[in-house]
Amino acid sequence: MGFLWHELRSAIPLIASGNSYILAVTWVTIRVAAISTASALVIGLPIGLTIGLGRFRGRRPLHILANASLALPPVVVGLVVLLFVLPQGALGSWHIAYTLKAVYVAQTILALPYIVALTAAAVQGLPPGLLAQARVLGAGRRQLSALALREAKIGVMAAVIAALGAALSEVGAVVIVGGNIQNYDQTLASAVLQQVNDYTNYPYAVGISLVLLALILILISILTVLQQRSGGLHLRFRTA
Amino acid sequence: MQLLWDELRQAVPLIVHGNPYLLSVIWFTIQVAVIATVVASAIGLPIGLAIALGRFRGRRVLQILANASLALPPVVVGFFLFLVFVPEGPLGSLHLTVTRKAVFIAQTVLALPYIVALTAAAIQGLPAGLLAQARLLGAGRLQLCTLALREARIGVLAAVIAALGTSLAEVGAIVIVGDNVYGYDQTLASATLYEANAARYADAVAIAIVLIGLILILMSGVSLLQQRGGGIRLRFRPAT
Repeated sequence: MGFLWHELRSAIPLIASGNSYILAVTWVTIRVAAISTASALVIGLPIGLTIGLGRFRGRRPLHILANASLALPPVVVGLVVLLFVLPQGALGSWHIAYTLKAVYVAQTILALPYIVALTAAAVQGLPPGLLAQARVLGAGRRQLSALALREAKIGVMAAVIAALGAALSEVGAVVIVGGNIQNYDQTLASAVLQQVNDYTNYPYAVGISLVLLALILILISILTVLQQRSGGLHLRFRTA
Repeated sequence: MQLLWDELRQAVPLIVHGNPYLLSVIWFTIQVAVIATVVASAIGLPIGLAIALGRFRGRRVLQILANASLALPPVVVGFFLFLVFVPEGPLGSLHLTVTRKAVFIAQTVLALPYIVALTAAAIQGLPAGLLAQARLLGAGRLQLCTLALREARIGVLAAVIAALGTSLAEVGAIVIVGDNVYGYDQTLASATLYEANAARYADAVAIAIVLIGLILILMSGVSLLQQRGGGIRLRFRPAT
């Protein structure tokens, strides 16, 4: 165990002194997680609500598709995005291959299934009477959506945290579309990969791993607090 | 769409002609997924059962630990194992770095939280009276475990599928411990990463298609089993 301990200790000064490389990677990671999750929310919430509340043909296939896309391997998503954004590809004129923008796009696509599938599941998990009652009482489509989101907020929060967690930990897509370029489009997770592969001593890899674990820990704690505080479902209809 | 379409067309013959490299990667991927899941189940099912059925101190702590370990980033798990396996590390004498064995071990470690946490959750979700009744009727520890597993089989199955799914799709840990050596310790996912980085997109697409195919087969198997399994059926066999 002496070796492990030694490696762990070597990273502490880097973190304590706020090493600029580690700080930069942390900042990129937070931006990637925040931007991709926010974009996925903007696109995914309406889709999730439509699947959860809508009564149109093709709703069930759409739901199955959303659930299935949760199982998409990130490397495959990364490869498809790369083939689109390479200069010869369909979106080649955007010139975003091997840039941070490509990383945002890939992570947004990876976050989307979490938001869509988990929001739909949360809305469908509401007591069946609740939404029917609101409909009978004359709630419009917008009011119904707002009500469903408010009542299913824990499920939606869980979806957001799952999306953030995936953005923090994921490497397959980020490495393929971004090229894992040191000090440019690395996230904490892909930086660990590069540090271990390229160097024979690991203070940076250990330091970055510790920061990554800390971020994940913060996310899990937030989720736990939210789940415990909110307890069950509160039925509150506000008067229009 | 030109590039994507070209690569797809070039990928088809690679798959149809059963390229030996592709075949060997498929075979190794199946081995990794099956061995990791079987070993993780052998270790994890008893732990999951103990967490759900046991009445000992530290049970809650163990459950929180199991849930939290679901969120561990694979690269961090891989890096930790890497430090354990390197010649200077605690298990350096086993010479596991950059071997297939290291890949098996890494995927088993990553599959374990799924088996433990999801099995425990599935059993805890059983109707409250069921296990208490079996206890009152004099069921022994072994009978209780069998009953719990049988009644929670849908949840346990979901745990096994989740474990298989990560073994198929994950790249972070195995690339670190196995170094992604061409044709040796690559899975379909890490081979996709390798070929995409080497700009051999037709090969990458061929491998990605096979990977998606395997995941589709897995998922259809699950939905079939879930539909057949139906709800929970209460069946007590008379003690013999």
